[in-house]
Parts: sequence; structure tokens; C-alpha cells
Amino acid sequence: MDFNSSLKIAATGLHAQTARMRIIAENLANADSAGKAPGEEPYRRRIPTFQAAFDDAVGGKIVEVGKLAYDMSDFTSRYEPGHPAADATGYVQYPNVNSLVETMDMREAQRTYEANLNVVTVTRQMLGRTLDILRG
Amino acid sequence: MGLMNMPVFSALTDKMRWHQARQGLLAENVANAETPGYSGRDLAQYDFATRSSAMSVATVTTTATQPMHFAVGGSESSAFGAQRMANFEITPEGNGVTLEDEMMKVTTNLMDYQAATSLYQKSIKILKTAMGRQS
Repeated sequence: MDFNSSLKIAATGLHAQTARMRIIAENLANADSAGKAPGEEPYRRRIPTFQAAFDDAVGGKIVEVGKLAYDMSDFTSRYEPGHPAADATGYVQYPNVNSLVETMDMREAQRTYEANLNVVTVTRQMLGRTLDILRG
Repeated sequence: MGLMNMPVFSALTDKMRWHQARQGLLAENVANAETPGYSGRDLAQYDFATRSSAMSVATVTTTATQPMHFAVGGSESSAFGAQRMANFEITPEGNGVTLEDEMMKVTTNLMDYQAATSLYQKSIKILKTAMGRQS
């Protein structure tokens, strides 16, 4: 396993966290996407999944973004009789997105992204040191 | 006689190779930090004493010109061939990956690697000095 494969593995980590950020952005943007009519399902929160996979070209375990799963927890309902999607009792179903949870997820993705970037930086420094031997 | 026949250089090259393999494993750990069920891995500590047996040493061979002469010295030990990661022992780290610990390890790895390359450069400078070329 040479330095290039270290860089490639770190790059897959960056890629995975980017995909995760995209899903978090999707969830947050649709936090208030209730239906238009009564009985219509609001937006359902999505969760990215990660799995480790052995890559022959790299010779190590890279991280892959797996299937996007749906969060099957209950929707929240709010009492808004004037809303077009309100049912007979005046309640509107809102997405099961908790902005607090999403913000925490976002922070975690950010930290992991930074960690992967750090691996890239350090690996590049090590490569640079190797080339310094040439200069004598 | 190449550089690799000198114990200092072959030992340092082996150590640098160890750091390279370790960097790969640490990159794996960090990339998979959020993967459920993934357990981190690391290389076993580098030990010059145990690794030195695999390294070649500079040898001088005497020629036997008479039947009474002993043959002294070297078997041509070119054991220091292509080393793969498999030559280094990989140890599991237990469950889960702590990013902070991994960052510490990455930095330690970098510093030790820099020490090894600096030693390598200094050794080359010593050789240059011995050849009478001040650089």
C-alpha cells in the first residue's frame, strides 16, 4: 500500500461525507414540506448508509455510500385548521425531520470531512519528505 | 555495493516502508470512521531488533587460494527484497474508531517518518563528506 492509495482512501472518505451533507441539506430544506391535500404524505426523512468495501485497485478498505434509507418514524402533526392539508380534526402532518438532529449530523459530517482532509495533508507532507531525499 | 547493502539505509528504508503501510491503514480507519460495524486496524509497533534479521548486511568474502584456507564471511543474503504490507503484522484496534486518536496517530506517523527521512539524508551527507565532497 503506497501513499497514493492512502490518498485515494481518504478521497473516498471525503466523497462519502459530501454525499451525507447532500442528504442533510435535502432533509433540512424539506423540513416543512407538508402535503397539499389532506391524506397526502409529507416529506419523509432520508438517512445515508455507509459500508466498508475492499477495493482491488487501491488494495485497502474504502468507504462506500450505500442505499439511501427512509426514516420510518412517525410524522409530527400540528394543529393548523386553515392549512390546505388539514384533516377533519384540523391537524396537519409535517415531515419527521428534527432540525436539531440534522444540525448535529451536519457537525459530525464536518468533523469527519476535516479528519479525512488532514490525512490527505499529512500524506502529501510525507510524500514531500520522500522527494526531499532527492535534493540531498 | 549499493546503498541498500549498508545496514543504515536498509533499516531506514524498511522503517519508511512501515510508515507508508501504516498511513494506508490509518487512512482506511478515518475514511470508515462512520461505517457501522467497522473495527479499526493498526500495524504492530516497529521493532528494529526483530526486523534486522531480514535485512542484509555488508559482508566481505575471502577467497580460498589454498586448500588449508577457511572460507570466511558472507553468504550473499539478499533477503531484503520487495516488502509488502503483509510482512508487517496488522493488529485490530478494538471496536469503533475514535477520530481524535486517529489524528494523533497520523501526526505521530508523520513526525516519525520525517525523522527517518532526515536520518536518511544525514547518512547520505556523511557518505558525501567521506568522499571529500562538501555539500
